[in-house]
Amino acid sequence: MKQTKTVVSMSLLSLPQRGWMAVTVVVAVAIVVAVLLAFLAMADGFRNTVNNSGSEALGLVLRAGSQAELNSGLSGDQVRLLRDAPGIKHDDAGPVTSAELYVVVDGTKKSSGTSANISLRGMELDGLKLRPTVDIVEGRMFVPGKNELVVGAAVADKFTGFALGDLVRLGKAEWEVVGVFSANGGVYESEIWTDVRTVQTQFNRGNSFQVVRFELETPGDIKPIQEYVDENPQLNMDVFTEKRYFSDQSEGVFNLIFYIGWPLAIIMALGALSGALNTMYTSVSQRTREIATLRALGFGGSSAFWGTMAESMVLALIGGVTGIVVAYLFFDGMTGATLGGNFTQIVFAFKITADSMVSAMVIAVIIGVVGGFFPALRAARTPVVKAFSLEQ
Amino acid sequence: MNDFYLIRKNLTRNRLRMILNCFAIFIAFLLLGALGSIRNAFDAGVELSADDRLVVVNKISFTQTMPVAYVNKIRAIEGVQKVTWANWFGGYFQEPRNMVVMLIVDPESYLDVYPEMILPDSQREAWFKNRQGVIIGEALALTYGWSLGDRIPISSNIFSHKEGGSTWEMVVEGIFSASNGRADTNYMLMHHTYFFETQSYGGEWVGWLTLTTGDPEKNEVVSRAIDAEFANSSAETETTTEAAFNRAFIEQFGNISLIIQSVVMAAFFTILLIVGNSMVLSVRERAKEIAVLKTLGFPAPRVFRMVLFESLLLAVIGGVLGMLVAQFMVEGMSNSPQIARIFPNLAIDSGTWATALTYMVLLGLLTGVFPAYRALTLNTITALGKG
Amino acid sequence: MSDNLYELKDIHKLFVKGREPVEIFDGLNMTIKRGDFISIMGPSGSGKTTLLNMLGGVDKPTQGKILFDGQEIQSLGEGKLAKWRAAHIGFIFQFYNLMPMLTAAKNVELPLLLKKLSAKKRKENVEAALALVGLSERAKHRPSELSGGQQQRVAIARAIVSDPDVLLCDEPTGDLDRATATEILENLQQLNREFNKTIIMVTHDPVAASYASTSLHLDKGEFVERDVAA
Repeated sequence: MKQTKTVVSMSLLSLPQRGWMAVTVVVAVAIVVAVLLAFLAMADGFRNTVNNSGSEALGLVLRAGSQAELNSGLSGDQVRLLRDAPGIKHDDAGPVTSAELYVVVDGTKKSSGTSANISLRGMELDGLKLRPTVDIVEGRMFVPGKNELVVGAAVADKFTGFALGDLVRLGKAEWEVVGVFSANGGVYESEIWTDVRTVQTQFNRGNSFQVVRFELETPGDIKPIQEYVDENPQLNMDVFTEKRYFSDQSEGVFNLIFYIGWPLAIIMALGALSGALNTMYTSVSQRTREIATLRALGFGGSSAFWGTMAESMVLALIGGVTGIVVAYLFFDGMTGATLGGNFTQIVFAFKITADSMVSAMVIAVIIGVVGGFFPALRAARTPVVKAFSLEQ
Repeated sequence: MNDFYLIRKNLTRNRLRMILNCFAIFIAFLLLGALGSIRNAFDAGVELSADDRLVVVNKISFTQTMPVAYVNKIRAIEGVQKVTWANWFGGYFQEPRNMVVMLIVDPESYLDVYPEMILPDSQREAWFKNRQGVIIGEALALTYGWSLGDRIPISSNIFSHKEGGSTWEMVVEGIFSASNGRADTNYMLMHHTYFFETQSYGGEWVGWLTLTTGDPEKNEVVSRAIDAEFANSSAETETTTEAAFNRAFIEQFGNISLIIQSVVMAAFFTILLIVGNSMVLSVRERAKEIAVLKTLGFPAPRVFRMVLFESLLLAVIGGVLGMLVAQFMVEGMSNSPQIARIFPNLAIDSGTWATALTYMVLLGLLTGVFPAYRALTLNTITALGKG
Repeated sequence: MSDNLYELKDIHKLFVKGREPVEIFDGLNMTIKRGDFISIMGPSGSGKTTLLNMLGGVDKPTQGKILFDGQEIQSLGEGKLAKWRAAHIGFIFQFYNLMPMLTAAKNVELPLLLKKLSAKKRKENVEAALALVGLSERAKHRPSELSGGQQQRVAIARAIVSDPDVLLCDEPTGDLDRATATEILENLQQLNREFNKTIIMVTHDPVAASYASTSLHLDKGEFVERDVAA
């Protein structure tokens, strides 16, 4: 044990002599870790944004089979019928519902100057109640019947011309931005809201809607509404809890990013591993005489083994930590945007979770262990006679 | 024996190191090839667009429709040669998960505006005659194993059939391919007449129009004329070139090119470090041999070239292997229906190969130039003096 | 063609060791005749190897002239010197300095890469050189498969394969046992006598020095008269 300690400290102390070789391993591992974390942060950030938006206490209906709001269509009659469904919570003014209509409009991204789709959502005033995470942080809520908009914080931030007080041209009309809302980082922050009747008129939608949102009497229980819909032939609708709806929506994108990120990181880790092996073999061959001399003095093979392993592990761990720090500084909180299930932009913040960090460290440790093991075996088998030979 | 023999012997003297370096380079080029093909797939739509084709969409957003009457109005505008239109059907096969890209089109004009779609004359005639007929792309036919004459039910997540439900029965009348192998054929086309007669609601709307001007120079004038025609109407239009439209659509997914490029660059930087370091080390270890060569009368530039060539050789071996495996993988992947659905035209084209070869040379030169320079300036006396 | 192969005129050589400049040669003059076999002995630091390096054109005097066959070589550029070495000089080192990844034959062939010779002609020359040192049957062996003496003979074959005028030997027997050293020295003597190669050999070994026709003793940058132990 004491032997091992001596050899370990010797090989670690000689690390600076192999400066560039050591730096190579550290940088290679750091890059692998940072790339993995970037992808995981993207996937987690996207899922976090979408899931943050969903609540078990709320429900919604879409036309059967439509899967996304964009494809859905509900008539005014259907909406009226649905409001009477059991299982929807009532307050003083009746059932807490918001029938909504959703159109896609073009906005200009500040970052690239290119145009991208934004959702313009027409809603009823109860819509605000049905989104407990939403807070008007600037200005006020729109007044029904007027061309007034409240915009999500992400829209105000990422697109030009959506600041409080700005006049915006959407469709044929001019609209005034009267408020900005935050939604705890959720998808709503990528939307613009106004009165549903105004949207129907301005975009020639007659008396049609796409989605009805409501508060559930019992959180998570959509069964009474589902039964009501099934019994009523006029209502060919799918019923979801909001949480379920959003997680269905995010699954595809999350999986895509997640399953691209991992194989990529593993392939790159293999490249870094070959670098680590190269460095460690070189380290062993440069120290052959030193190792052999120690063995001639009576040190065991295992101390040579652990000396090399320790060197490799230290380099990989430094690399792993560096990668995490760099990824954290660069990517955590960075915002991205992509097309969501409704063909509109979802702005999300990259999020580096503790789980991802653990995964990243596991990759670093694997590179360290495998990269050290084989060279360490060679070190342990160094013949004592090498101590006396001229050649290295 | 010649210089190349010496270079080869030098490269292979430390087999383990060579294999490890080769592998690192292999990985970098595997990534370059595989990711390059994905980027290619995304860019194909832009690169394959005809330069005299314009796309007209609703100004509000391309998801908004326009009245079918626009088709004739646009046809009448000066400079417009051929016009066709399409609408999004929102199709799926049996399960909503099995998304099928189906467009509602006007058959004759559509094939006229898109001459790159290759369809045998007999199938073309058959489709024109049968309203219930559809033509499907090769890739799509492969995915679902559909063949000529098959009756297939396609459902819509947007429209409903007037007889209830949202499923339409179709007959495969033709299978088309594309003149360019990179073009997407993972979609199908149905007759607008059949659709208009059988849908339950919604008037006659079109999703977008495509037209040709015959001359890219006229694009700007024509697109301005079209947008002016519909200004202040209930559905204003926005007319752009096909390439610009496709690019805008891709960019909405996020900057995929940038992400791919960053990953490839990160991989290359790592490999540059690993291999460069290894070459420096290898030259340092043979300082004495290089000194001997110089003493024997080998001119310094020749020694410089030999070291540079060695790292080039290493980069090319690893790189070509990586690209070949990437090619193999991408070909395998493009035959998998699941992947073909996301990336319809996955392939490593000559452009990616050219990039890869350039990178190989750059990598070889970058990793070799420093050690080669050391060999060039190596002090023979000191190097020989080393016991 | 003059009888004098080398003429060294007023050679000065300064080294900077640490901060102190050390003057190894301070006006050395020397003449070497064609066909000489000269041994140079002397304590370490006396300048033996530096002198040999200057004669071989791998080192240059700080001041003074080195004439080879009447031509000044100290003023030649790197590229010309390399060509000159390839044409006129064969080197033999203490530790042989063979390329470990090449066979004996390929090692010997190395200097021929600098000449425009057909592959066939090169092969003939290599075979002849190996035959001369008695190693024909080891042509396909790598240095690691040869004994020290055999390696040195391969090195000699490499030195003579391009038919140079001069062989410069730095402690050629320094790493060998007596019997093997004798073989090597006899080999050199034969090259000097039968093929008229001019040989300049730096050595510590008085026995080795005795094979030379002229023995010089270098001390502090000057030749001193001293009896050579026979």
